[in-house]
Amino acid sequence: MKRLHLVGLIAVALCAASAAHAEGDKARGRTLVYTCNGCHGVPGYANAYPEYHVPHIVGQNEQYIVNALKAYKSGERTHPTMGAQAQSMSDQEIEDIAAYLSSIAK
Amino acid sequence: MIRGFSLIAMGALLALTATQTFAAGDPARGKTKIATCVACHGQDGNSVDPQYPRLAGQYADYLAQALHEYKDGRRGNAIMKGFAATLSDQDIDDVSAYFATMPSKLQGLEHHIQGD
Repeated sequence: MKRLHLVGLIAVALCAASAAHAEGDKARGRTLVYTCNGCHGVPGYANAYPEYHVPHIVGQNEQYIVNALKAYKSGERTHPTMGAQAQSMSDQEIEDIAAYLSSIAK
Repeated sequence: MIRGFSLIAMGALLALTATQTFAAGDPARGKTKIATCVACHGQDGNSVDPQYPRLAGQYADYLAQALHEYKDGRRGNAIMKGFAATLSDQDIDDVSAYFATMPSKLQGLEHHIQGD
């Protein structure tokens, strides 16, 4: 019985540790990027006014993606579509997306 | 009257074409202007430190847009603002053209979503 308590404690400690770490989950990220595909998954797709290509995001560096999404979320970096998208994401989801996208560098 | 108008129109067209030709970025010229960029972004634009974006193979017009936004303050980043301030419009096009032509680890999201 005492041993069961110990196992429980360890499990709780492990959960707390992983939450504090907030490491991205690639598998969850893969599901989450479905929304991004509408613009970032269309070859040659262009932003309008001003017109420029929607950037490649697959293979981009992990911390840069996290910083970009958090800057869009806070409004520090402005773009109408990206601001709206990022505001719907939790910090954990941002980590998950960045973990997945950065993991598939060519 | 019509002749005068046509002449003006032709002149305007020529002027437009001329600016377009001039504005095109030149990767070779860009290569001579990237001394400051490489410290963080790498010689070939494939930044090793994960906090800096990879530039190699990114769309040139997106890179140019980012540099213009850093330069005029629409995009706030103290370090990039300082560098972008030293670049002319032509420099921005050249530097962007250079990094866009480098061997890339980047790609579009197509074929990488759930179910693919």
